[in-house]
Amino acid sequence: MNTYIALYPILTIVTGALLIILLEVFLKKEKKDYLGFIAVLFLLVSGAECIKFWNKGFSYFEGNLLLDKFALFFFLIMILTVIFITLISLKYLSLQNTDHGEYYGLLLFALSGMMIMVSSRDFLVIFLGLEVLSMASYALAGLKRNDERSSEAAIKYFLLGSFASAFLVFGIALLYGAVFSTDISTIMNFFHAETSLSLMGLTGMAFVIIGFGFKIAVVPFHMWTPDVYQGSPTPVTAFFSIGPKAAGFAVLMRIFFPFWKEAVNSEIFFHILWILSVLTMVVGNLVALRQKNVKRILAYSSIAHAGYILVAILAGDNSGLVFYLTVYLFMNIGAFSAVIALSRKGKEFLELEDYSGIGFRYPWIGATFTVFLFSLAGFPPTGGFLAKFYIFSSAVHKGLVPLVIIGVLASLISVFYYLRIIIYMYMRKPTRNVEIFSYNPALFLVLFLCLYGVLMLGIFPGNILFYIKQAVAALAF
Amino acid sequence: MAYFLFFLLSVVCVAAVLGMIISKNQAYSALFVILAFTCTGGFFALLDAPFIAVIQIIIYAGAIMVLFIFVIMMVDVHKGIAPEKKKWTPVFASGIAVVLLIELIIALKMAFNPLNTSSSQTIGNPSDLGHLLFTKYLYPFEITSILIITALVGAIILVKKKEKE
Repeated sequence: MNTYIALYPILTIVTGALLIILLEVFLKKEKKDYLGFIAVLFLLVSGAECIKFWNKGFSYFEGNLLLDKFALFFFLIMILTVIFITLISLKYLSLQNTDHGEYYGLLLFALSGMMIMVSSRDFLVIFLGLEVLSMASYALAGLKRNDERSSEAAIKYFLLGSFASAFLVFGIALLYGAVFSTDISTIMNFFHAETSLSLMGLTGMAFVIIGFGFKIAVVPFHMWTPDVYQGSPTPVTAFFSIGPKAAGFAVLMRIFFPFWKEAVNSEIFFHILWILSVLTMVVGNLVALRQKNVKRILAYSSIAHAGYILVAILAGDNSGLVFYLTVYLFMNIGAFSAVIALSRKGKEFLELEDYSGIGFRYPWIGATFTVFLFSLAGFPPTGGFLAKFYIFSSAVHKGLVPLVIIGVLASLISVFYYLRIIIYMYMRKPTRNVEIFSYNPALFLVLFLCLYGVLMLGIFPGNILFYIKQAVAALAF
Repeated sequence: MAYFLFFLLSVVCVAAVLGMIISKNQAYSALFVILAFTCTGGFFALLDAPFIAVIQIIIYAGAIMVLFIFVIMMVDVHKGIAPEKKKWTPVFASGIAVVLLIELIIALKMAFNPLNTSSSQTIGNPSDLGHLLFTKYLYPFEITSILIITALVGAIILVKKKEKE
C-alpha cells in the first residue's frame, strides 16, 4: 500500500536525533545521560511501529521506500543494536571524558541511514543512505578528541570511506550507463536478459562490490578495520562491527538473491565472491592470532565473521544469513560490553595481560564474556554454533565443499585466539592491578540480555527462524 | 557569435592552464585553475546546458577551489615537491599525457558520428531539473537534507572548543 505512514519508523528516528541535538544545548554536563534515555525512548517507539507494520506491506515514493518484511526485520535488528549501544555508552562516555550529548544524535542519524539503505531497491537511495551512515560514523570514530588514536581512526575511516563511496557511486553510474536505471530489479533483469558480457555493466557491478566490500570489511578491503576499531570509543566500535555490516549485507542480499539463479554473467561474480570469502576467513583469523589488544582481536574476528557470512551469500542461504547476523548482534555486543565493563575513570583495560585473573576477580563479567567468546568461536549450545552450522550445511547442500572445508578450518584457527582470552581470564595469575568502576546497571542489563539472546538462539531457534523465513520470503518479490 | 565566443574561451582556457603549470607560486596556479574552470563553464553554456555551466562554476571554481587554497595554506609554498619524487614526475606525466592524447583522438573520431544527441535540448534545463527533484526524486532529495545535517553536526562536534574543566 502506497502511503506516507511508511515513513513513520525512519521519521521517528530522525525526529529523535534532531530533538537530542536541540536539547543538548540546554542540558548541564552532569545530565547528559537523559539524552541517552530520550534516544532509547524514540528507538522503542520506532521499534513498536515496525512490529505494527509487520503484515501491512507499506511503501511510499513509488516503492523507493519499501517496508517489506525483510526491511522491517532488519529495522528491528538495527534498532535493537542501537538500543544496546546507547545503554552501554551511558556510563562509558562520562568515564572516558567523551560526554558529548550529540553522540546519541549521531547514533540515531547513523541508524536512519541504515534504515534508508535496507528499505530501498534503488541504488541512488541506497547510496544516500550509506552516506548518511558514513558521515555519522566518521564523526563517531573521532569522538575521543583528546586521544590521538581516535583522531587517527576518524581520519583513516574518512579517507578510506570516501574512497569506497567514490567506487560505489562510480559503479552505480556505470550500471546506469548500461541499463538506464538505478533500480536493482531492473538492473538484475538486464543481467538475466543479456546473453553476452556487457563490459560496462560488469565493471559497474564490480565497483559496487568493491564499495560494499569496504563497508563490510572484506579482505582485501579491510585495511582500515583494525585501526579504526581500536581507535574509536569502544561502544562505537561495537556499533561499527554490527550496524554497517548488517546494512551492507542486507543490500548485498537484495542484489544477489535474484542474481545466482539465471543470470548468465553470475559465474564471474560467483568466483570473485568465492575468493573474497576465502581470503576474508583465512586472513582475518590468521592475523587475529598475533594480536595482543582485545579490541584488535575482536576487530579481526569481525573481519573473519564477514567471511562466514559471505559463504551464506554464495550458498544463497538467506535465512541462514539473517540468523547469523541476529546471533552475531547478541554475541558481539555482549563481548564488547564485557570489554567496556573493564574500565574505570579515564582508563580502559584492553591489553591481553590486563585480563589475567579477571575470571575470578569479577566472576560475572568473566563468565558472561566466556559465553560470548564460546559463541563467537562456535561452540554448542550457543547461538554461534547453530548460525555457523546452518550456513555451512546449506553450503554443503549447494556443493560448495572446498569452501566449507576452508571455512571450518578457519574457524578452528579462531578457536585458538578466543580461547586464549579465556585462558588468560581463568588460568593466569593476575599481574596488573585492574580496578574497575563497577556501578553500571545499564551495562549489566545489556550483558544479561545478550547472554539471554545468545543462549535462546542456540537452544530454541525455532521462533526467530519462523519470522526470518517470512522476512526472507519478501525478497522474492 | 558562438564561434567567436568558443575561440575566445578556448584561448583563455588553454592560456590559463598553461599559466597554472608554468607559475612558480602555487597560489597563482590556483587562481589560474579558477579561470580555466570558469572557461569550461562557458563551454557548457555554449552547448545549451546552462545548469551544468552554473554548477561547474559554483562547485569547481567555488567549493573545490576553497579546498585547494586551504591545502596550499597548510603546506609550505616555497618548499616545492620533494626532489626524490621529482625524478619520477616527468615519466609519469608523459605516460599519462600519451594516454590522454589517445583518448582525445578516439573522442574526436567519435565526434563525427555522434551518439544520440536529440535529448540535448532538455538536459540542462533548470526548471525541468527542479521539477524532477520535487517529484520523481523527492525521496533522495529529502535524504540529502539528513545527510547534510549529519555532516554538519559531526564536523561541529569534532572541532568545537573543549569545555573548560
